[in-house]
Amino acid sequence: MRPFEYVAADDIASATRAASADHATRFVAGGTTLIDLMKLEVETPSRLVDINRLARRDPSLAAITELPNGGLRIGALVRNSDLAWNDLVRTRYPVLSQAVLAGASGQIRNMATTGGNLLQRTRCYYFRDTAMPCNKREPGSGCSALHGHHRIHAVLGTSDHCIATSPGDMPVAMNALDAVVRLRGPAGERAVPVTAFHVTPGAHPEVETVLRHGEMITAVDLPPLPFAARSHYRKVRDRASFAFALASAAVALDIGNGRIRDARVALGGVATKPWRAHEAERVLKGHAPGTALFRSAAEAELRHAVPHPENAFKIELAKRTMVRALSTVAAMG
Amino acid sequence: MQRSESGAGVSTPAATVLVFSPRAWDPTWADQLAHFDALLAGVPGVRARLMGIARDGLGCDVTFGDDAAHIPVRVELDPGGTVAARYGVRGEPAVIVVDEEGREHWRHDGAAPRADELVRALRALSADADIADDEPSFGISPRPTRRQFVATALGAALTLATMSVAAKAEPLLAPLAPPPEPGVATTHVTLRVNGRDVPLDIEPRVTLLDALREYAGLTATKKGCDHGQCGACTVHVNGRRQLSCLTFAMMHQGDEITTLEGLANGEELHPMQAAFIEHDGFQCGYCTPGQIMSAVALLKEPCGRADADVKECMSGNICRCGAYPGIVAAIQDVRAQGRG
Repeated sequence: MRPFEYVAADDIASATRAASADHATRFVAGGTTLIDLMKLEVETPSRLVDINRLARRDPSLAAITELPNGGLRIGALVRNSDLAWNDLVRTRYPVLSQAVLAGASGQIRNMATTGGNLLQRTRCYYFRDTAMPCNKREPGSGCSALHGHHRIHAVLGTSDHCIATSPGDMPVAMNALDAVVRLRGPAGERAVPVTAFHVTPGAHPEVETVLRHGEMITAVDLPPLPFAARSHYRKVRDRASFAFALASAAVALDIGNGRIRDARVALGGVATKPWRAHEAERVLKGHAPGTALFRSAAEAELRHAVPHPENAFKIELAKRTMVRALSTVAAMG
Repeated sequence: MQRSESGAGVSTPAATVLVFSPRAWDPTWADQLAHFDALLAGVPGVRARLMGIARDGLGCDVTFGDDAAHIPVRVELDPGGTVAARYGVRGEPAVIVVDEEGREHWRHDGAAPRADELVRALRALSADADIADDEPSFGISPRPTRRQFVATALGAALTLATMSVAAKAEPLLAPLAPPPEPGVATTHVTLRVNGRDVPLDIEPRVTLLDALREYAGLTATKKGCDHGQCGACTVHVNGRRQLSCLTFAMMHQGDEITTLEGLANGEELHPMQAAFIEHDGFQCGYCTPGQIMSAVALLKEPCGRADADVKECMSGNICRCGAYPGIVAAIQDVRAQGRG
């Protein structure tokens, strides 16, 4: 691991100031992605700004609070465990609780934070191996996965420059819930819909979000969504637990008078960013729930999927995962 | 480790070090080897370098550099045992060096000797030896010379005595630490581990795991994958299980850290430790500290009561021996009895 300077920030202003002064600075909270990648020298920050202490001055950063509109605000420093176990989250947004509990392990969920989890980086083998070319790690060096091993790679949102999968579970559920990411930087505050927070690789795989340097995620707002009480997260992986998704689906359905009034669907494990399945939602809305409808929604969403030899199975797997999740929610009382 | 046929120790052990020490002592602490080397480096003319301590039951072999000298160490952990009685040890820790006939050549009774006393004794004995500087190095001659005997035996005693002191968590010398890299600044931090303040001079790159093992000498916490995938490094931070390999020590000033060493109440095992023994929750034991730390914390989490729930909650702790059925049984037993 390369040497670095360690600074513990006491307030957001000094943290963002310290970070924006130097492009090789990273915030560290849970550390579960960053420190792993620092050991591999994939991440080589010259300075770490520890933001864990910020909650001493501003407890809301580590708290889940009700918003006046009936939604919830999740502080950026809320640990995955606390998010998943929160009663309000469990009853109002079960898909989010389930998604978080489907990710990582008990120990890691006690460390990983809401803000950090949105910035989790890909598990692409070549991204993690500094001996190999990777456009994400080293722009312009080439993509080793395109013609190498890519069983775990993406089939949606890919480009000729990168097919690395977005690895998270929590962000997938947040996409389905139309969450809003609150940011604070030297230039002030702004709010970005989570569906627009992550970006597809295009010609610049090194850019994964719209986060500007020095900006910090301070919270994620969940808008009120009463029908999300009927929601579900389905994750398919190589082993039963503690594995990244090969395919996952976050689903919430508003069913009334035998018809789907509204639908929220997002996919994980198959795309270069947490994938909001707008096509599938369009197919679902206004129709009576049923396996045939669910299947055509899945077909519509995956119609433009781009397979590679080792990951072509993910297209069918994603469809079936989505159909299963939709069926589960439709069967809820 | 290879040993030559004509080597000094295998067929005709020249010396045996008897160590009588409280049960907490573990002679396989790797960090003590570096300590020994550092101490021996201060003794002119002694070329021995301690390479390793292999443990087998209650005995262990201390092997010195280049196969040179090989000293069996008879460890009787119980200072009140039968061997102890033969050498007049009555309940107190002792380090005794004997030759192959069992004759005593050096001993220290009571609290372990101070390092500087041992270094002085070693210096005196090596200076006393009537041996030229160009004599064959250890291991080449069929039998060890007197100086070799004394130096290696004392070296072993020194190591073991140092270890027995370290086991009581009262460092004989400054805490062991890898030498700092030139140009990299260290910072003085205090970690709170198992209810004690542990002062450390560390650079930012030191993970909590390395701080515990390499700096504080608390080696129960294990390094498995070092990338958050195996759970061997699980400790409690403010009562919650976390991976000590994926966090920097400097981030934990003011936190209450508990390692496996802090779980037992003196000689009384934590119920989870006892249950792991009762249910055969381990085979090789390497993942066990992490498994137990995870299991203890799990009981405070909203984990379901079915075996399947326990398996899911424990999925961050990998066991290559496949001791999972025993681990699940141990956890369920502790929970059923409300002992967690």
